Amino acid sequence: MRGADYVVKRVAFAILTVFIAITLNFVLFRALSGDAISGLRCRQCSVAFKEAQRRNLGLDESRWVQYRLYLADLAHFDLGNSVPSEKPVRGELVEPIKNSLPMIALGTLFAIVFGTLVGVVAAWRRGTFADKGGLYTALGFYSMPTQWLGLMLIFFVANAIGLPSSGIKTPTLGLFADASTWALFSDRMKHMFLPALTLGLVLYGDYALIVRSAMLETLGEDYVLTARAKGLKNWAIVRSHGLRNAMLPIITLVALSLGFIIGGSITVEYVFSYPGLGLLTVEAIDKRDFPLLQAIFLLLTLSVIFFNLLADLLYFRFDPRVTT
Amino acid sequence: MSSRPPVIRVEDLHVWFALPGGGELHAVQGVTFELREGERMGLVGESGCGKTTTILAMMGLLPATASVSGKVILEGKDILIGGEETISPHRWNDIAMIFQGAMNAFNPVKTVGAQIAEPMVLHGLATRKGARLRVAELLDLVGISGDRADRYPHEFSGGMRQRAAIAMALACSPKVLLADEPTTALDVMVQAQILELLVSLSSTLGQELGLTVILVTHDLPVVAQVCDRTAVMYAGQIVEMAGMSEIYHDPRHPYSRMLFAATPDLLGDEEVASIPGAPPRLDREIAGCPFRPRCDSVFEPCATLSPPRREPVAGHEARCHLNDPALTEMAS
Amino acid sequence: MSLIEPLQAADEDGLAHGIAKTSRPGFVRSTVFGSPAAMAGLGIIVFFVVVAIFAPWLEPYDPTAKTGPVYAPPSGAHWLGTDDGGGDMLSLLIAGSRVSLGVGFLAALVAMLIGGTVGVLSGYFGGTTDTVLMRFTDYMLVIPDIPLMIIAAALFGRNLKNIVIIIGIIYWTSTARLIRAQVKSVRERVYVKRAQALGAGNRRLVVKHVLPQVAPLLIANTVLMIALAIFAETFITFLGLGDPSTISWGRLIENAFTGEATINNAWWAIVPPGVCVTIVILACTMVGQSVEDGLNPRLRVGHLSVKRFRVRTPAGPEASK
Repeated sequence: MRGADYVVKRVAFAILTVFIAITLNFVLFRALSGDAISGLRCRQCSVAFKEAQRRNLGLDESRWVQYRLYLADLAHFDLGNSVPSEKPVRGELVEPIKNSLPMIALGTLFAIVFGTLVGVVAAWRRGTFADKGGLYTALGFYSMPTQWLGLMLIFFVANAIGLPSSGIKTPTLGLFADASTWALFSDRMKHMFLPALTLGLVLYGDYALIVRSAMLETLGEDYVLTARAKGLKNWAIVRSHGLRNAMLPIITLVALSLGFIIGGSITVEYVFSYPGLGLLTVEAIDKRDFPLLQAIFLLLTLSVIFFNLLADLLYFRFDPRVTT
Repeated sequence: MSSRPPVIRVEDLHVWFALPGGGELHAVQGVTFELREGERMGLVGESGCGKTTTILAMMGLLPATASVSGKVILEGKDILIGGEETISPHRWNDIAMIFQGAMNAFNPVKTVGAQIAEPMVLHGLATRKGARLRVAELLDLVGISGDRADRYPHEFSGGMRQRAAIAMALACSPKVLLADEPTTALDVMVQAQILELLVSLSSTLGQELGLTVILVTHDLPVVAQVCDRTAVMYAGQIVEMAGMSEIYHDPRHPYSRMLFAATPDLLGDEEVASIPGAPPRLDREIAGCPFRPRCDSVFEPCATLSPPRREPVAGHEARCHLNDPALTEMAS
Repeated sequence: MSLIEPLQAADEDGLAHGIAKTSRPGFVRSTVFGSPAAMAGLGIIVFFVVVAIFAPWLEPYDPTAKTGPVYAPPSGAHWLGTDDGGGDMLSLLIAGSRVSLGVGFLAALVAMLIGGTVGVLSGYFGGTTDTVLMRFTDYMLVIPDIPLMIIAAALFGRNLKNIVIIIGIIYWTSTARLIRAQVKSVRERVYVKRAQALGAGNRRLVVKHVLPQVAPLLIANTVLMIALAIFAETFITFLGLGDPSTISWGRLIENAFTGEATINNAWWAIVPPGVCVTIVILACTMVGQSVEDGLNPRLRVGHLSVKRFRVRTPAGPEASK
C-alpha cells in the first residue's frame, strides 16, 4: 500500500505527543504548582484536612515516585478525585461532555458549512461585491471576542426571538407532568441554539477567511490557467480543480483550529451558563480544583492530538504526493 | 508560399494592461501575422517583449486588467470580437496550448489521464470510456506507455510531463498549437526529443490534423531546429518576420542581427556579443524607433519617426528605416 | 518566490498573468499605503495608540472613582453612561486601552522574539538544529492553546507580567514555522550563497542578508499576533484570571457580565468595550493580512476571475466597449 510508512509515522508521532502531553500535564500541575492543596478553597479546608488530602494524593512522596504513580493511575483511567467534592473526576466529566458535544458539533457544523460556502464564493468572485461583503463580515466576526458576541446575542437577540439565554433545560419542564420526548428535544435545541450560534459565528469568520485564501492560492496555480485554456467554465474550474486542491490546506487548518473551538466553548458556556465541559472548567478554576482541571486539560489535549492525526490521515488520503 | 488560405491570422493586435497605480502598459502594439496549415512559426524575443501576451490574447486568457483590440481570425472568422463569449468555444477545440513550465500545468491531485481526458469529455468529443482509449493513444503518440494514464503528475519526470502536456494539447485535435517555452526547464537531451516530437507532429500529422504550431521562446537555436518561419518581437512589436534562413543570412533589422550574434555558436570559436541596454518602458509613449537607444546603426529619422512595417523582399518584412531607400539616401 | 526578486524586464510577462509589480525596498510601506483597507487599519491603530498614550489627560473622570449613579444611561455628564459601580464608562474605556494595547504589543513582541529566533535558527542552520526545534514546535502546536493559557494563568498568579509572558510563550509557534520557511528560501538565494563564499560569518549573514528579507513577514506576523494577544487578554480576564488591580477592555466585558448589565438593560456597559476590541483586532488583521498577502506571490496571480478582459473598438484606447 502507498505510504504505509507515512501512516505509521503519523501514528507514532501522535502517540509520542500523547506521552509528552501527559508528562507536561504532570509537570504543570505537580511540579510547578508545588501542590494542589495549598490553594484549595473550600469550607472544610482545615490544616489537618489539607494534610490528609496531601497524603491521599501522594504529594508527600518524591516527584519521581509521584510521576510513576500518576502514570500508573492513568493507565487504569484513574484521573484522581475532585478535591472539594472528593468524587472521582472521571464521573464528574461524563455529564458535561454529553452536554457539550452536541452544542460544539452544531456550532462547528454551522461554521464549516457557511465558512466554506462564503470563502469559496468570495475567492471565485474575487474583487466583486460578493467577495468584499463576505470578506468583511467574516473579518468582523473573526475579530469579535467570543464572550462579548455571546453577551450581545443575549442582550439583543435572545429576548427578541424568545430564546432562553441560560442553562440547558427549562427548570419547570417535566416537573408537574411528564414531558414528551419531542418537548424535551425542542427545549434542548432552544437552549443549545444561541451558544452554538455564538461559537459558530466566530468560527465562521475564521473558516471563511481560511477557505478564501486557500482558494485564492489554488486559483493562482498554473493548472487553473490550463483548465481555462481547455475551455472549462469558471464554476467548473472551481468545482473540479479549485475545491479539491484547496481542501488540503483547509483540512489542516480546521484541525488546528480545534484548540480554539475548545477555548471558545469555555467562554460561550460560561456566558450562557450552559452546563458543559467549559462551564465545568470555569468552576474548577474558581475552586482551584486541580485534579479536575488536570483531567479536563488532558482530555482536551488528547482530542486535539486525535483530530490532528485525523487531519494528517485525511491529507494523506486526498493528496497523492504524500508518501513519506 | 502556397495559395492555401491561412488557418489563423492575427491582425493589428494590441494589448494594454491597466497598472495598479493608474496608467497603462501597452504590451502588444499592433502585431500582425498569419499561418497556413502545417506551418511552424517561432516567436522570439527577450522576456517582456510581449510574446507570451500575444499568444495568451489569442486564447483570450488575459486577466481582467487587460484590454485588447484587433482581430484574431480563425478560418475566416474573427473570434476576438466578442471577448470571452466568442473565444471560449474555440479553446482546445481549435487552439490548444502548451504552457511554460509544464511541471505546474497539471493538477497534482488528479491523474494525468483524467486531465488529458477532461477537455474531450467537456467538449463532447468522447464518452468517459472512449476518452480512456483515446488517452492511451495520445500518450502512445508522444512516446509514453498508455498504461501510465492512471499515474499522478509527480510520478512523471520533467520530460515525460512535457510530453504528457503535448498529448493533452492534442486531445481535441486542434488546428493550432501554441507552445510557450516548451523546453525551457528541460535538460538538453530531453529538449531535443521534445522538439523532434513537435516537428514530427506537425509534419507527419500535418496532413491529417492540420497542426499549425507557434513556438514562443527566447532560444534561437530551438527555433532554428523546429520552425519554418520566425517572427522577432521587440517592445510589443514584430520587428522582423521571414523564413528561418532568410532572417539568419539576411537580417533586415539590427535587433535580429544582434540577437543572432548574441547566440552562442555551437563550435564556440566566435566571441559572443551581448546587446547592451534594456528594452524601453511600455507604459509611456515611445518617440521614434523603440530600439534606437540600443541600436548600432542609428541615423536621423530614428529619433522622430516610428518605423512602419515594410516588405523589402517578398515574404520578408521588417520595421526599420534602413529598409526605406528614400530615408537612407537622404541621410547619406 | 521569484517575485521577491526585482521585476524589470519580466514585468510585462507578469502583467500577462495578472501580477502587480512590487519592488523590495520599503515593501511594507508601499503595500500598506497601497491598500485602502490596510490604511484604514493603520489609522485605527494609530488612533488607539494615541488614546492609550495620553489616557490620563483624556479621561473626563477618574476611572476608578464612583462618579455617578449605578448604570446611569448616557447623558451630557457621562457620554457613555456609568457601570455597575457608578464609574464613568468613557473614562474606563480610555483607561482600558492602555492595558489592552500594552498587553497586546508586549505579548506579540515576546512571541515575535521567541518565534523569530527559533525560526531563523532552524531555517538558517538546518540539520539537527532544525529537526530538534521543529519537532518541539510541532508538539507545542498540538497543545490546545487556550486551555493551556487558562491553566498557566490559574497556576502562576494573576498579574500583567505573567499574562504577557503566558500569551507570548503560547503564540510563538506559528511565527517560528512561518519564519523558518522564509529563511530557508532566502538562504538558497544566490547572493546569500555568494556572500557566504566570500567568507561572511553566520552572524553577519543573518543580520545583513537574512533578516532584512524576512523582516516584512515578521512585521506582518507580529501585527497579526497583537490581535491574537488582545483577544487572549479579554479571554483570560473574562474567566476571572486577569490582574485584579487593572482596568482593561477585557475587564470591562467581564464587568458587564458579572455586573449583570444585560438584566439592567445597560447596553452602554456591554457594547463599547467589545466594539473597541473588535475594531482594534480588525485593524491589526487588515494591516497584517495585507502585508502577508502582498508577500505571497501565489495570491497575486489570479487565473480565474469573473471580470473579463475588455475588447476595445478599433477607434483607439479612449473608445471602449
